Amino acid sequence: MNGRRTVEDRVVDTVNYVLLSIIAFLTLYPFYYVLIASFNEGADTARGGLYLLPREFTLDNYSYFFQDPKWIKAFGVTVLRTLIGTTLSVLFTSLVAYGLARKDLIFRKVYFLVAIVAMNVSGGLIAYYVVLKSLGLLNTFGVYVIPSMLSLFFLLIAISFFQEIPPELGESARIDGASELRIFGSIVLPVSLPLLATMGLFLGSQQWNAWLDSAYFVQNDSLRTITYRMMEVINQTMISANTSANAAQFTAQLQVTQFSVQVTAMVISIFPIMCVYPFLQKYFVQGMMLGSVKG
Amino acid sequence: MLKTRTLTPSYLENTSQQEDTFTKRFRKQITVQIFVWLGLLFLLVFSYLPMFGILMAFKDYKITSGIAGIFTSDWVGLRYFKELVNDYNFPNLVRNTLVLSILKLVFSFPVPIILAIMLTEVRSSFVKRFVQTASYLPHFISWVVVSGIGFAFFSTETGLINNALMSLGLIDQPLDILTNPNSFWGLAVSTAIWKEAGWWTIIFLAAIAGIDPSQYEAAQMDGAGRLKRIMHVTLPNMKGSIIVVLILSIGSILGGGLVGSNFEQVMLFGNVLNSETSQIIQTYAFNAGLAQGRFAFATAIDLVQSFISVILIVSSNAIAKRFSGSSLY
Repeated sequence: MNGRRTVEDRVVDTVNYVLLSIIAFLTLYPFYYVLIASFNEGADTARGGLYLLPREFTLDNYSYFFQDPKWIKAFGVTVLRTLIGTTLSVLFTSLVAYGLARKDLIFRKVYFLVAIVAMNVSGGLIAYYVVLKSLGLLNTFGVYVIPSMLSLFFLLIAISFFQEIPPELGESARIDGASELRIFGSIVLPVSLPLLATMGLFLGSQQWNAWLDSAYFVQNDSLRTITYRMMEVINQTMISANTSANAAQFTAQLQVTQFSVQVTAMVISIFPIMCVYPFLQKYFVQGMMLGSVKG
Repeated sequence: MLKTRTLTPSYLENTSQQEDTFTKRFRKQITVQIFVWLGLLFLLVFSYLPMFGILMAFKDYKITSGIAGIFTSDWVGLRYFKELVNDYNFPNLVRNTLVLSILKLVFSFPVPIILAIMLTEVRSSFVKRFVQTASYLPHFISWVVVSGIGFAFFSTETGLINNALMSLGLIDQPLDILTNPNSFWGLAVSTAIWKEAGWWTIIFLAAIAGIDPSQYEAAQMDGAGRLKRIMHVTLPNMKGSIIVVLILSIGSILGGGLVGSNFEQVMLFGNVLNSETSQIIQTYAFNAGLAQGRFAFATAIDLVQSFISVILIVSSNAIAKRFSGSSLY
């Protein structure tokens, strides 16, 4: 917009910049605080007054974390479920979407109806639990990755994405005698990287953050996820720190407090997401807009 | 080809050819059909099978009888629904569920709209991108981490905010935010906005990006300042997406609307001390169901909630259709 900036422009701009700075601060500072608390000695953090930089810098919290078999195990389970679960759901959802994207597909309308109903109607947690129990999935690693193999939200997005791909790409391979699976694997998937990246980020962060399935469907202690473990620690500290007067006294005697383990676990759990997130932002904004257009 | 065409009557020929192409077409696309069937099989097991589980709400179901028990158990009619309504917790549960959901809708709904307008009004593309990136970030963080952050900031002993206010001499007693029934709703609403509001701005930013720039130029010619242009160009153009998002929010209101999971929040921020305001229908169903093993009763609770949700989404859609012409379906 050209033209001179009026007084109103200046006021609007100033107010806007001030408010947006406050919003950015409110969003980012909690992450920053958790980070500095994880590098600060636990007993010192408990004294309070930690705002900008670690006061008593230490790596003890991290070495404690990586020496506790309970946390290592949980970390391993979480990495594994994220890798396997995300790969499975990205591939399976794309495969089904590839079929449904074909406009000449016979019974296409019926298939869509089946998917749309499934998207909107649910039997509730208890019935789902009964089904998982009957399938023998309770207390297995499979419960983390199998029921999430098909993402209905991304099924719709992937269908409209695949329909944008020029049919000529697959046509010549089909004439050369390539099978559909081969066309899907070596032609469709490679040209769908933006879609795969969006799905990977979303489904990956869902897998990484999931804890309810660990709480509901798993009793085996060695199958707990890192998020579930964090929930346990936070639940313990939330009540104890707020009710017993000597909680601070008790924690102050230890170098590594429950709180410092908790913030360390939080940093470790946020870290992988922080690493991939900025690179995939462009894609997921596109994906989200595509999703919003389709409703 | 030519020969058969002349020999067979045209109506017969047509049907036989159609059947022929149908099976031929089907056989040709059999691999792709199998891809889709795999997906349908998945839905059958993980979506449709649980739907039959709704029957449990009306049956004397025992978990030991497995899936078959859903169909073979004895009918008990509305017994579990009566039990729920007569439960002394019931009025409290309904109040908490509704109040929490409505507060979230009222306070969280305008935030992404305002944020999207603010972001569009920023001239510096660096600032714009920076604030956007920052505001989406919490969406990718689990509720568990959010509750950990809540603990780090609000706990009475080690909480950053209490420490800061105490050392500034603004308060002499730490504020009890995490275990006080009076602060639970505020805590739940504000953490939900913190986590999800930035995320929903994407949709509104897309709506604003689609506005024809000539509308702004015309408004400017007519002497409209910045605020007038926002009021008379930006907002009216956002109407469609605002309505769609509003319908989605109302439809999912009992689950926490667009700003996320009431259930997870109550599981994480709720505790024995604030249960008076934090216990909601879903957490009650969870406790009755999986924790105490009362599967049929819990299913009845789930069903009551789904029923209210369906009524809400259908009626909000109808209202939106009547007043604005835009609707989801």
